[in-house]
Amino acid sequence: MIEELFFLLVFPGMTFQVVCGLGFEWLDRKLLAMFQRRVGPPWYQPLADMIKLFSKEDLLPKGANEMVAAFLPLLSLSAVLTAGLYIPIAGFSPVSFEGDLIVILFLMSVPTLAYYVAGIVSVGIYSILGGGRSLLQFFSYEVPLLIALSGPAILARSWSVSGVMSAQAGLGPFILFQPLGFVLAMVGLIGKLKRDPLDIPKAKSEVVGGSLTEFTGAKLAFWHLVMNVQAIVGIFLLVNLFLAWPQMLHPLLTAGIFLAQCLIMILILSTTSSVFARLRIDQLAGLGWRILVPLALLQVAVVILMGV
Amino acid sequence: MTKFNLQSMIDKIEDATGTPGEVYDGINNDETIYIEPDQLVDVINILRDHFDCIHLTAITAQQREDQHDTIEVMYHFWKGRGITLLMKLPTSTPQLTSIIDFLPGADFYEREVAEMFGIHYTGREETPPLLLPDDWQNGPPFIGREENDAE
Amino acid sequence: MQNRISIPIGPQHPLLKEPLSMMIDISGEKVLGGSMRLGYVHRGIERLAEQRNYIQNVLLIERVCGICSHVHTTTYCYAVEALLGIEIPPRAQYIRALMCELERIHSHLLWLGILAKHVGLETIFMHAWHDRESSLDIMEAISGGRVSHAANQIGGVSFNLDKAQAEMIRSTISNLRTQVEGLLNVIETEPALHARTQGVAPVSAEMIRQYCVVGPIARASGVDIDLRRDDPLPPYDQLEFKVITHADGDAWARTLVRAQETRESLNLCDTIMRDMPDGEVLVRAPRKVPPGEAIIRSEAPRGEVFYYLRSDGSENPARVKIRTPTLSALSMIPAQLAAIQVADIPVVLAGIDLCVACADR
Repeated sequence: MIEELFFLLVFPGMTFQVVCGLGFEWLDRKLLAMFQRRVGPPWYQPLADMIKLFSKEDLLPKGANEMVAAFLPLLSLSAVLTAGLYIPIAGFSPVSFEGDLIVILFLMSVPTLAYYVAGIVSVGIYSILGGGRSLLQFFSYEVPLLIALSGPAILARSWSVSGVMSAQAGLGPFILFQPLGFVLAMVGLIGKLKRDPLDIPKAKSEVVGGSLTEFTGAKLAFWHLVMNVQAIVGIFLLVNLFLAWPQMLHPLLTAGIFLAQCLIMILILSTTSSVFARLRIDQLAGLGWRILVPLALLQVAVVILMGV
Repeated sequence: MTKFNLQSMIDKIEDATGTPGEVYDGINNDETIYIEPDQLVDVINILRDHFDCIHLTAITAQQREDQHDTIEVMYHFWKGRGITLLMKLPTSTPQLTSIIDFLPGADFYEREVAEMFGIHYTGREETPPLLLPDDWQNGPPFIGREENDAE
Repeated sequence: MQNRISIPIGPQHPLLKEPLSMMIDISGEKVLGGSMRLGYVHRGIERLAEQRNYIQNVLLIERVCGICSHVHTTTYCYAVEALLGIEIPPRAQYIRALMCELERIHSHLLWLGILAKHVGLETIFMHAWHDRESSLDIMEAISGGRVSHAANQIGGVSFNLDKAQAEMIRSTISNLRTQVEGLLNVIETEPALHARTQGVAPVSAEMIRQYCVVGPIARASGVDIDLRRDDPLPPYDQLEFKVITHADGDAWARTLVRAQETRESLNLCDTIMRDMPDGEVLVRAPRKVPPGEAIIRSEAPRGEVFYYLRSDGSENPARVKIRTPTLSALSMIPAQLAAIQVADIPVVLAGIDLCVACADR
């Protein structure tokens, strides 16, 4: 019982993921600042921002549904925290079962849909516009992402993330077998996290703040936490599906390798954020369906042939 | 299209409207012609058709201290050199014809002069305020200035 | 079928540096049109100028706009000097032109950063504004102020340049030129910027002429007007420079025109520093201006600035009429907004390089 609570609340559950999420935000902002010749925030900035947000006034426009608006970020947070439970951290996974990859992907979609509903429910013109755009974006990147992520599962003949990881112990990191799948999964992750160049739903110059324009105070703090934990869970997932390493090593070394892999992923995400310009929604839809989906299908076809 | 020539401009105004414009040499840099307010549209047409000049830089209005019963309105054009059309309107009924049908850029200038000096433009539906707030009650700020200065 | 909604842009909006109110009608992702309301920064400067004397007005006119403050005072001072019938020393003319060109550089780099930021290229925004600091540093070192310089006085300028300052200016400009060339290289080859600006909201030369638009927007549609060449204030009649025009008239052409004008301005600064004559920088001007009227036009970073000044013989001007370039550009916005996409609104608005304080006075 105590053990289960530890896994749930401390590691690899809530505390660990929240700390990693805040660490991700700091690293991302620091790297962005380096690219832009700025100094960047100190390490405690994301935590300080969260604490400050909790002290702010929490209000919504007239006509907005307070209950639903308060419920949505908490729902999203629990969804991503639960998704994170099934992903092995440096090989250590207390909970796993056949098919948990599907569950993880489902839980990771909950925040996106909640983001859309948040826009509708907070009754501001920019919120509604941002929410609509986020749904349009969801349709463009989700399908290639799901197809690309099924590649490792097919190759490992297992729909469990731990299973995929152990299969890589024998065959080697899957990125070598399906580099295209990795790239597509990265693009999909950028879309899911709504980062530059796919931050169309919250493009400041066009829709001010997107769905979250009218959110303040504790609700906004939770939304930020959702974004950060979603990012870190996505990174863990991709590292496990594509970049795993043999497990027969000393646990400290495995942890070190895992950390290095995560840092490389964060570096890739920050670099693409600072280098590329934002796409227009029609350019994204064109990109998603005309280029990404066929490439993803091609990759999966190759994987199936390889497995045969 | 010929280069702008002051004398030929005056001749064309006389041909078109019967009254020649008068050369006014009070302003340095610009060729200034003094015309009647009802000649405005004809003169602008001459500028456009004969001299290919439609760049309207500004519409200036002013009231001279010693002549409180007239408002002077100047239309400043530019074609290689500055060309100004000068008109005098009575303060009690200042009225001009709008030219936004063939020169949409004049819209903002007309609106500003209308709200600042109370000039009424015919030929357009209305002149909504451009710079003054929607609830401005005190009348054209540049007319009757001594009272306005006290605020 | 999506219905029509009206989104407000302004008075406060991340897109706008200064308050302006626009209501844009959209249907889905397509813009149908819009309307505009100015006046949020209207300070009544023309009226205030009649209640202050000519010397006080130099400081008042400087505050018409923050970004192009020097060119406003330059035009005003030339107008007063025309009424007084005095000519300022050549060295003062060159210093005025130097500050004008530095202002053009800083204004265009500012605009470049804003455009990049709205397209999503924040890195270019940060780099452009970092480079802009060099030109602001020069202006601060010689005049004491970064954006409000109080450089002009009636009769000349208020400071002289010694050898050390001239050397500093030359070396800073040469460093800045390297940085700006690097930036221009990135802009001209960055495919994302092309994708967002090429073909967006093209404006024909005919529309430019009908709306009486001036400045880089007009030059980007092929209309070749530049008051530094067409009606030069001294010393521009003795300086060689290129007027940049492009024929396409879309947002990309507007970007290119301003970017290349920055390079031209850097070259002009070099020419000015090289050709600057020696001598004094200020002549004594009488306080009372004889009655008369004067019109002076000059080229601000955004286009043609027009001053009409009338004096009735007293210490205060009788009428100061200012016409700024942004006013006509604003009148063209509703026409430009028809039939573009919502995502292009920032590109179109940024391409116009709004200076609402100028338009409102």
